[in-house]
Amino acid sequence: MTSAPHRANGFFAGLATVARRELGATFDSSVAYVFTIGFLLLANSIFMNDFFLTGRVDMSGFFELLPLLLPFFLAASTMRLWAEERRVHTDEFLLTLPITPLQAVLGKFVAAFALYAVFVAGTLPIPLMLNVLGRPDGGLILGGYLGLIGLGALLTSLGLCLSSLSSDQVTAFVLTASVGIALVLLGDPRVVAVVDGLAPSLSLGTLLAERVSARRPYDALTGGTLAPSALVYFGGLSAVLLWINAAAVERNRS
Amino acid sequence: MIRVENVTKQFGTTRAVQDVSFQIGPGEIVGFLGPNGAGKSTLLKMIATWLRPSAGRIEVAGHDTQSAPLDVRRALGYLPEHNALYETMRVDRLLTFAARARGLRGALLAERLDWVTDRCQLGEVHKKRVAHCSKGFRQRIGVAAALIHDPPVLVLDEPTHGLDPLQVVAFRDFLRELQTDRAILFSSHILAEVTAISDRLLILNQGRLLFDGTLSAIEERAAAHNTDVERAVLEIVRDQGPEPADRSAR
Repeated sequence: MTSAPHRANGFFAGLATVARRELGATFDSSVAYVFTIGFLLLANSIFMNDFFLTGRVDMSGFFELLPLLLPFFLAASTMRLWAEERRVHTDEFLLTLPITPLQAVLGKFVAAFALYAVFVAGTLPIPLMLNVLGRPDGGLILGGYLGLIGLGALLTSLGLCLSSLSSDQVTAFVLTASVGIALVLLGDPRVVAVVDGLAPSLSLGTLLAERVSARRPYDALTGGTLAPSALVYFGGLSAVLLWINAAAVERNRS
Repeated sequence: MIRVENVTKQFGTTRAVQDVSFQIGPGEIVGFLGPNGAGKSTLLKMIATWLRPSAGRIEVAGHDTQSAPLDVRRALGYLPEHNALYETMRVDRLLTFAARARGLRGALLAERLDWVTDRCQLGEVHKKRVAHCSKGFRQRIGVAAALIHDPPVLVLDEPTHGLDPLQVVAFRDFLRELQTDRAILFSSHILAEVTAISDRLLILNQGRLLFDGTLSAIEERAAAHNTDVERAVLEIVRDQGPEPADRSAR
């Protein structure tokens, strides 16, 4: 005797089911551990280098350099999420289950962001050590971590979105890393000066730095200002990218 | 339980499925027969909501695939053509994932997991990763995932592909057991397999439904033409359709 359909999954139950599978797949493989530990060592050595050179009990150098590393880390952790599903046709298995594209996208986002959270949590011994060695500015450190969360959410959404639009993982990695690093560098004063110099009348570099770059909102948060515009930038842009991702997944089935 | 009405599917300039209509009721096993590239998988993908029809409409268990795809997926167990499964997952975890995605929890989930593991004979591999399973086991894992929620409608694309002859026989018996109150549609390009399992045949070629009827209707046609069943089917495909009377033979 057949009994289906069973009670329908709520939105968050469906999302959690996808997230749990993705997390399992991530941590089932030793690649995730090697990769996260590798990036953690790199991030911590950036801090140690700055710490021993300046002798200051703060993390400003660390928060300054990390945005140049994150596009590569998050491009690598998100590149397979849709491109691989499509390559091996598991997207047909996943999306003929009673799960909406948005649930699938958000489930994958939660799993990818959880891996990033493990990476960020791995840097927490730094502020703990600084607290033992001196009296660092807690507000600045908290702001720095808020900036990392915002930038991480944006780059994770970007990686997921580009993975759904790319034909393979390598293309997804190159696109995400390129767009990610561009978003960061467009806010660098030297890049702004160069781009402005290309067409002085347009002030394109300044315009991109003010309106497009992730650097300005990131710097606002790491500077200790809980700027609503920065939260809107990271939250809004991430939401738009996730929505585009869900639309692209839905479009693939036509 | 499955109602396909004037369905057409166009990919660019290619018409993969052309104005196909049929219905399948509860308790019916219907075999979908046709050469490679006939449009069988495209049609099954549309029933499973993976593809959208370019024209026409499909209903599964009373739900429209376009306006209520989630309701269709809840009522449907689907084995895709490629049967692509998550390679790195353990078999029991893959089935648990499929069950959870379908809203099963707690004791019911455990009960269904035990049932499909037993009936699809997955006991010896249920703690192994999918990547380490043979083709025959992988096919059974796909069938188990399609059956985990005890669906009233089953759509299986080449379900015996990769099974050895003993497993094929066991699978036929299993499908017959499942038939009781379910609508089952399965595809194959092997006539003997379809006639051994199903009560009714749909023959598709170049996207067109050429025959919808019982095996006895084909046997009658074979006798009238003084030939065997295989040749009668080949003639239907070659002639792009039997006489109009055969189309409604059921």
